[in-house]
Formats: sequence, C-alpha cells, structure tokens
Amino acid sequence: MTNPYRKCKVSLVIGMLVLSAALLLLFSLRASAQQTDRAKQVGGKFMCMCSCSQVLTQCNHVGCTTSASMLKEVDQAVARGDSEEKITQAFVLEFGTKVYAEPPKSGLSLLAWMLPGVYLLTGTVLVVFVIARWRKRNVFLAAAPGPSATSGVSAELLARARAQAARDTED
Amino acid sequence: MDVFGSFALILAFVCAAYAIVGGIAAIFTRHPLLIKSARQAGLATCALIFLATGSLVYLFFSDNFSIAYVVAHSNRDLATFYKIAALWSGQEGSLLFWSFLLSIYVFSVLIAYRNKNGELMPYVGVVMASVQIFFLTLNNFVASPFKVLGVSAANGTFDLVARSDGNGLTPLLQYPEMVIHPPNLYSGYTGFTIPFAFALAALLARYPGEKWIHLTRKWTMIAWCFQSCGILLGAHWAYAVLGWGGYWAWDPVENASLLPWLTGTAFLHSVMMQEKRGMMKVWNVWLVFITFMLCILGTMLTRSGVVSSVHAFAQSSIGSWFVGFLAIIFIVCFAAYMYNRDYLKSENQLDSVVSRESSFLFNNLVLLVSCIAVISGTLFPVFSEWLSGSRISVGTPFFNKVNIPLGLLLLFLTGVGPLLAWRKTSLDSLKRNFGWPALTGLLAGAVAFAFGLHHFYALVCLILCVFVTCTIGMEFFRGARVIRARSGATFVASAVDLTMRNTRRYGGYIVHMGMVLIFVGLAGAAFNRDAQKEMQLGSTLDIGPYKLLLQSFDQKAERNYTAERMIVEVLRDNKPLMMLYPERRFFQTNEQSGTMVAIYSTLREDLYVVYAGQSPETQLPVMHAYLNPLVKCIWLGGAVVVLGTLVALLPNRRAVLVLSGAEQPATVQRLTHALSPSVTVREGHD
Repeated sequence: MTNPYRKCKVSLVIGMLVLSAALLLLFSLRASAQQTDRAKQVGGKFMCMCSCSQVLTQCNHVGCTTSASMLKEVDQAVARGDSEEKITQAFVLEFGTKVYAEPPKSGLSLLAWMLPGVYLLTGTVLVVFVIARWRKRNVFLAAAPGPSATSGVSAELLARARAQAARDTED
Repeated sequence: MDVFGSFALILAFVCAAYAIVGGIAAIFTRHPLLIKSARQAGLATCALIFLATGSLVYLFFSDNFSIAYVVAHSNRDLATFYKIAALWSGQEGSLLFWSFLLSIYVFSVLIAYRNKNGELMPYVGVVMASVQIFFLTLNNFVASPFKVLGVSAANGTFDLVARSDGNGLTPLLQYPEMVIHPPNLYSGYTGFTIPFAFALAALLARYPGEKWIHLTRKWTMIAWCFQSCGILLGAHWAYAVLGWGGYWAWDPVENASLLPWLTGTAFLHSVMMQEKRGMMKVWNVWLVFITFMLCILGTMLTRSGVVSSVHAFAQSSIGSWFVGFLAIIFIVCFAAYMYNRDYLKSENQLDSVVSRESSFLFNNLVLLVSCIAVISGTLFPVFSEWLSGSRISVGTPFFNKVNIPLGLLLLFLTGVGPLLAWRKTSLDSLKRNFGWPALTGLLAGAVAFAFGLHHFYALVCLILCVFVTCTIGMEFFRGARVIRARSGATFVASAVDLTMRNTRRYGGYIVHMGMVLIFVGLAGAAFNRDAQKEMQLGSTLDIGPYKLLLQSFDQKAERNYTAERMIVEVLRDNKPLMMLYPERRFFQTNEQSGTMVAIYSTLREDLYVVYAGQSPETQLPVMHAYLNPLVKCIWLGGAVVVLGTLVALLPNRRAVLVLSGAEQPATVQRLTHALSPSVTVREGHD
C-alpha cells in the first residue's frame, strides 16, 4: 500500500521541477530574445560593406555575402557580452569609418549633425528678418506715397514694361 | 538602323545649334523669318530625337546584337515588355531617353505657343535648345547608344562583329514598375526645364509681371505630378523588389529625386504669393532656377557614380560634364538676375505675421531646410573623404533623425496655412478655424495614447494628421453647405460643384489629403516587425497574428530564368487565409539573381515574405517575414495626390448668369467686362 503523503510529496517535487524548468526556459528564451534585440539594435548602427548603401540589418539584397558575415560577427560579439563601444571600435578598425550608419557625434562628423540645425536657425532668422523688414517698409510706404526711390528702374518704366509684357504674352 | 539613329542625333545637334544661334539673332533683329526659322529648327531637333530614340527601340526589338548597348542590356529571351525598359537601363540609353522626354515637352511648348507670346518665345526657344544641346552633346560625343561592336584587324582596319545573344537586362529591372517608374521620374526632371526656360526668358526679356508664372503653372504642376509619381513608384519598386522590407533607404539616387520635388513643392506654394500679392518675385525666380539645377544634379548623381548607390547600373565618369553644365547654368542665371533684378521688385508688403503669406514663408523655409539637409547628408561622405581622407557614411538613421521633425512641421503647416487669411488673420478667425480641428487632433492623440500608442513621433503624426484632415474637411463642408443651401443639391454633389468652381484651391486640398495619407503610412513604419527562420517542410514561422506554414519548396524553369520557390500557406488565427509564393530567380544570361517578394497587403498591414536563400550550414531554405503596418496608405496617398493634381489642372467651372430675355446679351457683356480683372485676381488657390 502506497503512502498518500509520499505520493503527494513526489508530485510536489515533480511539479516544482517542471515549474523550475519552465521558468529556466522562459528566462533563457527571454535572455536570448534580449540578445537578439540587442544584436539587431547594434547591427542597425552599421552599414553593410557590400556597397549597397544599406544599413547592415536591412541589407537583404540578392548575392550579398558581406552582410551575413558581418551580422554573424555582431551576434558573436553580443553573445560574448561586448559593449556597444567595443563592437563599434572593432568594426571601425576592420572596415574604416565608412562602416558607421550615422556619423559619430565627434570631430568632423559632428558637422553633419550640426548643419541641419544651423540651416533651420539661419533660415528662421532670415524669415523673421524679412518679415520685420517688409512690415517696416510697409509703414514707410504708407507714410510716403509716390515712386519708389529704392529701385534702379522708375515706377513709370516698370509700369510700361508691365504693360508691354501683358501685350506680348497671353494665356 | 544604327547609322540612321546616329545620323539623326548628329542632325539634331546641328538643328539645336541653329535654334540657339538663330534664336539669339532673332531676339536682337526681331526679324520674323529668323524667329520662324529658329522655331522650326527647335521642332526639327525634337523630331530628329524622336527618330533616334525610335531607332534604338527598333534595334532592341530586332535583337541587333552588333550594337554594344543592345548586347549589354538585352537578350533574345527577354520579354517584349522589358525590351522597352532596356532603353533606359544603361548610361547611354537613359541619356537619350532624357533627350527624348525633354523633346516631348519642347515640342508641346513650341506647338502650343506657336502663335502666342511672340516676344517671349524666342528667348524660351533659346533656353530650351541650350538644354537640349547639352544632352545631345552627351548623346553624340560622350555616351552614344549606337556604338557598334568590332575588333581591330592586323592590317589596321576595324571589323564589325555581331554576338549571337546579349547579356540580358539586370534582374532588378525586370519588374513591371521599372517600365513606368523611370519614365515618370525622368518626365519630372525634364518637365522642370519648361518653367526654368520661361523664368529665365522673362528675366532676360525684362518682364516684371506674373505672366511667366501664369504661362508655366500647368507645366510646373505636370512636372511636379510626374516627379511625385516617379518617387512613389520607385519606392514601391524598392519595396517589392529589393526584398529588405522597406520602401525608402535614403539612397543617394532616391535623395536626388527628392531634392527637386522639395524645391518644386516650395515653388508651387510661394508662387501664390506672387500671383495674389505681387510678392517674392526674386525668390520664385531663384526657386525655379534651383529646382532645375537640382534636376541636373539629380541626373548627375544617378549617372556619375560620385556617390555609391544601390542604383549602380548606370555609373561612369560623366560627372565632370554635368558639373560644367551646372556651372554654366548658375553663371547665366546669376548674370541675368544681376542685370535685370530691378524688374523683380515686390508690389506689396506684409501686413501681419499671422497671415497666409507668413505661413508660405515658413512652408518654404522648412522645405528648403529639408532639401539642404538631404543634399549635405548625401554629399557628406564625399566631403569627409576630401577633408579628412576617410569616408564617413551617412545612412538611414541620420536622414530619419533630421527629416522626421521637419516633415511633421511641414504637416502642421499643411493644416495651418490654407486657413489663414491673406494679409492678416484676426484672433476670432483663428479660434473659429482652428478650435475644433486642434481639439479633435488632441482628443485622437489622447485616445491613441490610452490604447498604447506611446511612440512619440507616431503619436505626434497621428495628432497632426487628424488636425489637417479636420481643417480640410471643414473647408469642404463650409463651402458645400453654402452651395447646397442655394441649389438644393445633395451634399456630395455640392462638394463636387464647389471643387469644380475653384479647381486649383480644392485640388490643392485633395493633394494635401493625399499627403496626410502618405504620412499615416510613413508613421506605420514605427511599428514594423520582422522574423527570420530556417524552414523545414511543415514547419511554421509566427509573426503577429499570422502563421506561415512551409508546404513545399520547388524549382521551376522559365524561358529567361530558373527559380527556387517557397510555397507558403498563410494562416490567421489558425484558419487558412491564402497561399504565398516568394521566390529567387537566377538569370542564366548575365548570371545574376533577383528576389520576388510575396506580399499579402491589407489596409491595416502588409505581410511581406521573402525567400532569403538557403542556409550555408544546413542547406535549409530561409524565410524572412515582415509585418509592416499601414504601408498601403502610402500608395493610396500617392493616388490621391495625383487625383488632386489632375483636379487642380482642370479649368474652373464658371458661374452661370441667369438673366431675363431682352437685356441678357448687353448685361452679360457688361458684367463679363466688369468682372474679368477681379476674376483674374481671384483665380487660383486662395
């Protein structure tokens, strides 16, 4: 006759073991998923060196042998637990600065990042300046009506040219 | 036929040269015969280019493998459909195709204005012929498509040879869209020659008015529409052929096509300032000049190989010719501007910062900044190599980081601009026009956030899309409501009537709606997912709600290629949905491979399946699947943009005056006379 308590104990142990195994599997899957995600994120920071001008993780063009080996290198480095900086240094050493998917934010490359901001800022200042100038001139014109003194062409000549253009052209 | 084609090109060159010299002489002498002969020379140039292009097409269709270009880009088994695409698949043919499309525009302009604008047309003719002669120089002396194959004999003679078959067309180009994408894009590039020619001609002829803008508005819109179609078709081709799951990689050639589109869009907006208020004349002239120069720069980037690109099928050292041409264009434009800038003075000034004028200024600013940022990013690798000796790549992440905020700013202005009044907008008007749309947008954003949309840019994009949709919807609603109240027609009929009464304005709104759809599609990219797996028969790959079951893996042989194919059953919620057949083709003639992606597309998302070859270790077929949300909105948006442009090109439907019998003719005449200037002033997008 079997002891019911013993049976219960065995079931409990088996249950614990199964649960532990499941948890272990879950954690390892999660760690592997995290590792894959990290490899994807790191791989997204490099260009494929097969001259396709595509980001490494996006290069899937037919016949590309380079992306597969580069991705493998990334996977191995991530699995080793290498930092992003270390992986980047290794890739730059191997392929040169053209391996960067985006310019690094230092040295000459910093210029690439700064330029769009400089354009926007300069453009905004210019637009604001133009608007302010137009508004000022508007006040000036309202105060002193008559032919414009700023133009090298007289208002009369301008009107004549406008009439000539209207005669010469038709829609 | 090759001799005929070569001869036609040489003759075209001579005729273009005469069109320039004769045209300049006609401008100075005003002799009617000279004017006429220069115009006829322009027409003859076009006709001869048509003949030369026809000759090359004939050589492809007749499989004439004694011609180097035909050997390099065709073979006997190539489908007839693709023999047309072979025309522009290489350097020489694509440059001839440029000349061909430009000639269609030039021919149309010369015919359309043959009895009009007598004083301006000689200038226009000279500018157009000058552009033509540059390309004819390339066609004749630098990259002739009619070169024959031959070998030098021992006695110093040159013996012609003919190959039995050609190398075939690049697999990447053997896709239906490749038959329509380049013609569209090139039609955009070449089309901007017409507004450029009229702007430069008007400046040289010292025309101060808005005439050149009235004359070229339709040409500009046609070119812009082709450019838009070309860009989107190119994006769709990249999506369906390159097999990387995306549609825009900020490749230098893609960027090159975007640049003139950005400045062209800026021009289409700022030109309204000149039409309505007589402002920004200098800016508009320079925008057209820059747009044309960017078209030439784009062609140069595509053809020269100065920057590395996936479009590597047409690279050479032809770049120096384009640089020289660009320099000449700039010098001529700058000189013309310096001599005649006094004729471009603004007639009005700005009354208020909160006005339509200001919104157009900011719209132009954002478009121009985006354009310059794309140029500097595209050319940065070249400059970095030049300055520091090491080439620094600038890829997708950089362009996305720079352009997404600018794009969103532009989307915001798309909603704001059309609802601001000209001159000055009152606070009441601001509240009335923007209150509900802004509130609805924010509400939509809050709901989306509550349902888990936490991606910053995607959320902002959603809010702005709803905002812009509401502002446009309100414009249609208000206008249609008035018409409905008067006519008693249905709401839809009233909205159509409203659109037809001011096609430019409401066509513009439809274009804006198309852009909203495109933005929705682009925002979807924030939620793209992908998965890759080595597959055995019967194994599955899970992605999103789909399960992909590999049923079979086979090989097939077609006339021009052999293919390895996956037969994949798609299950959704474990119920069979459909079959997909991603494959990889191998073209024997040029020993190249090509991907055929299988896409299951819905409005919500695209299931994009690629057969990524066999694993080198296990020899098992590898499946790469992507789940791309909302991609279809981009293509739908493109169709709406084209629809809107077509509507904007239609003439306005005139209001019918219903008057009593006897006094009708006199009254109508009097009213028409009284109304016409104001109608001219009110015409267009306001």
